[in-house]
Amino acid sequence: MSINYAVAMMLVGLGLYCLVVKRNLIKLVIGLSVITDGIHLLLISIGYRSGGIPPIVTSAYMDNLEGFAARAVDPVPQALVLTSIVISVCVLALALSLAIYAYRHYGTLDVRKLRRLRE
Amino acid sequence: MIPHAPILAVFLPLLAAFVLPLVSLLERRYKIPLAKEWVSAIFVIAEVMVVFSVFPDAKSSVVAYQLGGWAPPLGIVLAIDALSALAALIIVTVGALVFIYSFIYMRRESGVEHYYALLFLLLGGCVGVVFTGDIFNFYVFFEIMSIASYALVAFRRHLWGIEAAIKYLIVGSLGTSFILLGIVFLYGRFGTLTMANIMELMGQVAARDLVIPLTCFLVGIGIKVAMVPFHFWLPDAYQGAPSPVSAFFSGATATVGVYAIARIVYVLFGAASVGSLLVVLGLITMVVGALMALVQRDLKRLLAYSGISQMGYVLVGLGLGTALGIQGALFHIFNNAVYKTLLFMLVGAVIWRVGTSRMDELGGLWKNMPITAFMFLLGSLAIAGIPPLNGFASKWMIYLAGIEYGGWGYVVTAIALIVSALTLAYFLKALSSVFLGQRPSHLANVKEPPAAMLLPAMVLAVLCVVFGVLPQLGVDLVEPAQRAISDLNGYIVGVMGG
Repeated sequence: MSINYAVAMMLVGLGLYCLVVKRNLIKLVIGLSVITDGIHLLLISIGYRSGGIPPIVTSAYMDNLEGFAARAVDPVPQALVLTSIVISVCVLALALSLAIYAYRHYGTLDVRKLRRLRE
Repeated sequence: MIPHAPILAVFLPLLAAFVLPLVSLLERRYKIPLAKEWVSAIFVIAEVMVVFSVFPDAKSSVVAYQLGGWAPPLGIVLAIDALSALAALIIVTVGALVFIYSFIYMRRESGVEHYYALLFLLLGGCVGVVFTGDIFNFYVFFEIMSIASYALVAFRRHLWGIEAAIKYLIVGSLGTSFILLGIVFLYGRFGTLTMANIMELMGQVAARDLVIPLTCFLVGIGIKVAMVPFHFWLPDAYQGAPSPVSAFFSGATATVGVYAIARIVYVLFGAASVGSLLVVLGLITMVVGALMALVQRDLKRLLAYSGISQMGYVLVGLGLGTALGIQGALFHIFNNAVYKTLLFMLVGAVIWRVGTSRMDELGGLWKNMPITAFMFLLGSLAIAGIPPLNGFASKWMIYLAGIEYGGWGYVVTAIALIVSALTLAYFLKALSSVFLGQRPSHLANVKEPPAAMLLPAMVLAVLCVVFGVLPQLGVDLVEPAQRAISDLNGYIVGVMGG
């Protein structure tokens, strides 16, 4: 269980490292994606329960709702992660389309070369 | 209140964003002139009416709207207290004026329906952030707002728009990731997402367990309001975006950022002790913004840095944490929305006529555009805090709050006064290099922008004067919001029920 948390935090850390160190636009986008994935893993681990059952009440559990509640995993984080994945797909799609435009304009993906604005 | 107004306020802009591309198809197929402008106008007016109808109700008590009739800890609620209502009022007012302005400003562009759709998404995201009572919805609306902003910055797809959008996107997504991380920690700790419910349970955990989530939120929101260590994306974004978008950002999105700080730090965490940190960051933001503004050669960049500097005042007022300080901060964010939107609209008017905002290529435009120039003067004096304009009224409250605080509060007031003088200096520089001095010969035929573009600016200019001459109006406006920030129990009872 705790390995999930450790890996999640490691993913967030790696993503941050990538954002700070890397200069290629595509790699920065990958870094962002890795951070988000780390957070998703953390979120889904919070709702996880080892040996848990799906949070759907079937006829088998109707007379034993306490037993159901004691074993079912938490459905909320799963819903949250699904929502968050959709959002992160939007961001990634937008980021990659911007990267395409940037490559067309500048002929490079090196963010250090994207500095027309300062002049 | 119009029935179901809270959800309508969120739903209408999102519906408009969906409908507009379809309307544009019909417009092209059946040759209906100006169909998308009319549809946008109708939606904007409806949105303004809905939000204004919520305002009187929310002023006295919390309006809790349960989605699907599910009670709060399980269901999702929209919770509108006086603070939300004030922020929404600013957002839709600025939004409506920006729409009117855009009808002319964007006429020359192609694919305008996408522009309006994105602007509606941005508006819907902003209203959603301030109306929701659910912490995860807060994140979702924050992301809707952010994604729409990134796309709007890059809307023209020219070099600097793309470049600014990339910077904004990378930094902004990092910020929202931090907000999400904070939400995950809170959910792991409390097992609930309703803000009022989290506030009820807040007392049961040790303060040190809340440090990490609070830090995540502070970093995330700090990036959004461009607090100083995280400010570098903002001037690029404001410069790269079309002018009406910059106007909307500086008026409405900045308000959302301040709302988020007040809501999350003060109301959700009840962490008034973070105040001194906010004061320090606010002072740094104020000074750095003003110093950077002094050396800018592009008018839009100068305005962007001055926006950072003004945000410093708001942070200082919030951080002082006294009733007067918070009222001053809220009044200042209102005033900032008024004159900042005004100034960006006027700069947009100059760009629309001349095609550049570089100050060394402009000059002597007072003779060509007297109304624009006069309103720019008015806006500059308001932002520099010259009486009797609105900027003076709110800055005065923040100065007084510093003195009232005593001790290092005097230092705060002194720094705020100096920055105010700097503000006057760089705005006079901007004014003289654009509207006074030698007029380059190729600018001799420049005319005033069309009346429909000047009208929204005039409304804002009148507001600048009205709230300066009658500051009590503004104080009455923000006073319920300030009480809402300090009355945590009222919020919990209002949302969760007795």
